[in-house]
Amino acid sequence: MIEDDEILQMYIEESLEHLSDIESDLLTIEGDGENIDIDIVNNVFRAAHSIKGGAGFMGLTTIKGLAHSLENVLDLIRNKELVPTPNRISVLLKGFDKLESLMNDIQASNDEDVSEYIDALANITKSSLTEEQQDMVTNLLDLTLADGRVFPAVSQYSIEQAKDDGRYIYLVEYDLIQDIQRKSRNPIELLESLEKTGTIIDSRIDFDSVGTLGDNLLSTRIPFQILFSSILEPDMAGTLFDLEDQYIHVVTDEMLSISNATEDDAVAAMPLRTDIEPELETIPSMATIVEQEAVVSPKLVATQKQKSVTATPDIQKEQIRSTPATIKTASQEKEVSVKQNIAPVNKQKETFKVEAQAKQQPVKAKPPVAARKKVESVATENDINDYTNEGDANNAMNMSKPVGSLRVNVNLLDTLMNLAGELVLSRNQLIQGINSSNAKATELSSQRIDMITSELQEAIMRTRMQPIANVFNKFTRVVRDLSQELGKSIDLVIEGKEVELDKTIIEAINDPLTHLVRNSVDHGIELPHVREAAGKKATGKIILKAFHDAGQVNIMISDDGKGLDPDKIAAAAVKKGLMTEQQVSELSAKERIDLILLPGFSTAEKVTDVSGRGVGMDVVVTNLAKLGGIIEIESKTGKGTDIQIKLPLTLAIIPSQIISVGNEKYAIPQVNLDELLRIPASQVKERIEKVGDADVVRLRGNLLPLLNLSQVLGIKKTFIHPDDGMEYPDQRESIADRRSNRTGQNGKRESVNSIHAHERSGQDRRYRASSAINIAVVSAGAHKYGLVVDELRDSEEIVVKPLGRHLKKCSGYAGATIMGDGKVALILDVSNLAQMGELTTMAEAERTAKAARAAEEAREKALDKASLLLFKNGPEHCAAPLNLVERIERIPVSSIEHVSGKKVVQYRGGALPLYELSQVANVSKLPPTEQQEIIVFTVKGRELGLMVTPPVDAVEISLDIDDSTLKQVGINGSMIIDGHTTLLVDIFDVVKNLNPSWFEDEKLAAADMEEAGQKVILFAEDSAFFRNQVKGFMTDEGYSVITAEDGEIAWNLLKERYSEIDLVVTDLEMPNMDGFELTSKIKKDPLLSHFKVIALTSLASDAHVKKGKEVGIDEYEIKLDRENLMKLIRRYLNL
Amino acid sequence: MASKTATNMGTLIESNTELATFYIGKALCGIDILSIQEINKHFEVTTVPQAPDYVVGVLNLRGRIVTILDLGKKLGLSQIEKDKRNRNIIVRSQDEHIGLMVDAISDVVTAEKDKIEPAPSNISGLKGRFFKGVMKTKSSLIGILDIEEVLKD
Repeated sequence: MIEDDEILQMYIEESLEHLSDIESDLLTIEGDGENIDIDIVNNVFRAAHSIKGGAGFMGLTTIKGLAHSLENVLDLIRNKELVPTPNRISVLLKGFDKLESLMNDIQASNDEDVSEYIDALANITKSSLTEEQQDMVTNLLDLTLADGRVFPAVSQYSIEQAKDDGRYIYLVEYDLIQDIQRKSRNPIELLESLEKTGTIIDSRIDFDSVGTLGDNLLSTRIPFQILFSSILEPDMAGTLFDLEDQYIHVVTDEMLSISNATEDDAVAAMPLRTDIEPELETIPSMATIVEQEAVVSPKLVATQKQKSVTATPDIQKEQIRSTPATIKTASQEKEVSVKQNIAPVNKQKETFKVEAQAKQQPVKAKPPVAARKKVESVATENDINDYTNEGDANNAMNMSKPVGSLRVNVNLLDTLMNLAGELVLSRNQLIQGINSSNAKATELSSQRIDMITSELQEAIMRTRMQPIANVFNKFTRVVRDLSQELGKSIDLVIEGKEVELDKTIIEAINDPLTHLVRNSVDHGIELPHVREAAGKKATGKIILKAFHDAGQVNIMISDDGKGLDPDKIAAAAVKKGLMTEQQVSELSAKERIDLILLPGFSTAEKVTDVSGRGVGMDVVVTNLAKLGGIIEIESKTGKGTDIQIKLPLTLAIIPSQIISVGNEKYAIPQVNLDELLRIPASQVKERIEKVGDADVVRLRGNLLPLLNLSQVLGIKKTFIHPDDGMEYPDQRESIADRRSNRTGQNGKRESVNSIHAHERSGQDRRYRASSAINIAVVSAGAHKYGLVVDELRDSEEIVVKPLGRHLKKCSGYAGATIMGDGKVALILDVSNLAQMGELTTMAEAERTAKAARAAEEAREKALDKASLLLFKNGPEHCAAPLNLVERIERIPVSSIEHVSGKKVVQYRGGALPLYELSQVANVSKLPPTEQQEIIVFTVKGRELGLMVTPPVDAVEISLDIDDSTLKQVGINGSMIIDGHTTLLVDIFDVVKNLNPSWFEDEKLAAADMEEAGQKVILFAEDSAFFRNQVKGFMTDEGYSVITAEDGEIAWNLLKERYSEIDLVVTDLEMPNMDGFELTSKIKKDPLLSHFKVIALTSLASDAHVKKGKEVGIDEYEIKLDRENLMKLIRRYLNL
Repeated sequence: MASKTATNMGTLIESNTELATFYIGKALCGIDILSIQEINKHFEVTTVPQAPDYVVGVLNLRGRIVTILDLGKKLGLSQIEKDKRNRNIIVRSQDEHIGLMVDAISDVVTAEKDKIEPAPSNISGLKGRFFKGVMKTKSSLIGILDIEEVLKD
């Protein structure tokens, strides 16, 4: 039937190209609705039209029929006789889809049943026409020429249309041999050029007139008939067609007669058509054939089909018998231009094979009869080729599978040619230079070669580059269809269509991207009513964006849907047994989201047809990893999800970092490289720690697991001595310094003092203490780790070459490359290395590291932060709460007056009493100076000055107060700040001792309370220091205080003793249950909700205050601000 | 071409086949000279950690990455001893170049069909399955290697 050759290949390629654009055009047409953009419709129309035109010539009757029906509908849309409603566009889209699938399997296309599509299209066409016209759509005309030959089955509708437009209709007969082959023209080009002056209604090759061997009057012509309509007058036609007049027929009404063949027959019409026809029942119209099909039982259909199948062998035989003469003509031309004849021709060459074919037939009849259809003849043909002539058959097979070909811009090709020319010239120069030992010439030509090579590389790359639009465009359709199916309303915004990528990458990202887009539609965007309820626009938005960044192509898929819920994902991971509860609890929100990348994970609650087919994101990740791509997910619950994919521009040449271990060099692809890290010997002990069995490095506050490349690969660790450059074996087994911190499995860090417990041994000694540690921080998929290498070298563009089959099992390498010195360097596969480096250990290390980090954070959290004012009292370092400080002044000592045993200074129109710490506490006396620093405090509404020694400085620090060792009157306790033991001054205590009268109110109040009944305060505070301090303030004023160490204890106490408690005062940051949670529990409990809650905080940030208000905290007070706290307590207790 | 050579080798050894002979330890072996791409003495190989022990390393052969195998180890004998007579025999197999490191190269001899006998189960400590046959000459016994069998992982 149809053999593959250049022309067919070209036709398929062109058609597919047309088809690839159609989809987006159709969707635009749909979007435009009634206000059609005539240019776009014309585009689609022309595509359908040229496909039809070519199909006629190729004998692809099914394709022709389908394309014709599509064309009819498009024509109506173009003439604004039909509004492109979504339904109609859907039919068109399906039609074009079918057309594409037919194109992709061109050999079998004629045996496909497309009547369903044609019917649907015909119905659309009919709906817009008058009754009379409706008939025309399905009616076919036979065109009888003067010599009695017939051009069968022409669409009446097309003819009428042409006539209505006042065009002439011509039947032009080109001879494939004389007019096309001999003039080295190409039939498809011919059709295209004709299109410029008119419209091709139909085309076919007239096989009937070729004649058979039996005929004496054997025609040497193979007429290629084209039914053509044009406004050109008949007398011009000769010039137009470049044919003798006898081959140009002007079609008149008399020549046309109603055909009794239906369109379906036309579709089935093949070169052998006339032979088969008698066996086929002729059915008057399309409608009846459909009805019949519906009525006829499947069995009957089957037998009908079988009939035609069994009929074929005979026909073929007949055909074979009858062909030799034709062959002769054809082979005389050397080119077997009539494709339809080739099959018989091939067989003809080896007539003895005919018997084999006949024998073959029954053997081949294995498949169920109904499924066999008429395809059988094609199948057997191929099979026979297989049996008869292996070599040829193989060639044919290879050819029939379209070998990937690429269209290259001619300019680009010219550039390549130029560069190749230049390269040859430079080579000549180089050779000359070398031969004559001319160093300068050699250098010059090597520079030129360098330049040309880069240009050549770039130019060749460009030939492989394709716009990403090829992939992106189809998503308009995917999103449209899916959202319709799911009842969602989604806008797809595509940006950066012009970004170009290597052809292989373009092809390979198709599936992963489809998966991601489908995910966004299916799981991301919510149903319209859900969206509205959440206060979003009913129409969701998906943005598909491509852009270049840092030598990579980035693809972003963002949606404004419901986002990913880290907790749900974590829960699902636990449920699926991918992680334990414990492991999950240690993950941050982002890490939880990344869990969906784990193999065997799918978040869809129910498996939908759309995206939850059991394959999850892990497949996407694996596929992308094969391309050297990485994926990052960012998601905000309720707001949407951003998925970013980073891809290399090409796979053949990749930028990479060269590193070395021992004497060998290795390459790490730049895609996987995050940063390079060099830890100087002096910092090794601080930055590299041992967690469990693994080494970790401290990197900007995070712990990064380390993998020693030489260990993973089992390279004997050596050391190159800096003095003599020789290699010595390295004795160390661990990277971490023996003085480094060690964090055990329980996450507790062993104290720095215990380092002496670790004996020094040769094992942990570097050859030279001065050697720094070089780390390449790499990431692949979910893993990020530091690869410890001997040396970090240049970054280079390398050419990836595959490793031989004996090395396939070494999974640590992605390939090999050749370095500038001609040696081979292995390319590391970062993700496989992570697995080889015993992922379990690594995961363990990561987890322990996290535990350690969490423990550390928790400890810091538990410690209250406070702002302190640091000052000195002679040699002693002191500190006081900053919030009590009013001002800091410096006065000349001479201005200090001594009045009735007290020191005062004139200050803002009053007398400011001055004290020094030694008056109260047992500390040093201030040394005499000329200038005195004074810290002004406000206590009880009155100001007093504390004389101190500079420097005075404010710090914010975690309080870790030792409240026993150095506690005394006026001193709360001590803590270490900046390496100094610092005394914490208790201003209230100081004032109380100096001016007891100021505190008489409290005493009165306490006395009052004793009479009125003691008020009970529940006070929750984890820090013993503050607990004692604040409790002290409260008891001083006569309150009874119940203390609790954390929120949970407080909660339990409150539940038990709520009847006696009057007020709750709580710290905010506490272990187990913090102040926020405690408050919210209290406020939610109907029994307890009447309790007022005062929160004590060290730093009342706005965010805190807001959060506190939300959970119901009544008031904030700063810790250690005794006065205000007491005022508040009194207010809340209505005292 | 590679596949054709391989199939021919696998089926029979024709007369007039020229055999390149070489030593592995003390055993004299031969392979069809047509399956040899070249013989060289490049030993600047890059070692491949974690590779099977019979892999010496990889070599850059004019832009092609060639895996060099220690033929002694591959055949289950001891390692090829470093010697200046060592050579790499580069053969083509399954569209790939592979280097076989041998102790020393010897003469090229013409195979005579009637002198070829089926391989015994053991030739100088080498397993019989690696051989297509043995050819007796006046002075020695040449084991004709089945390259595809040898190169099997």
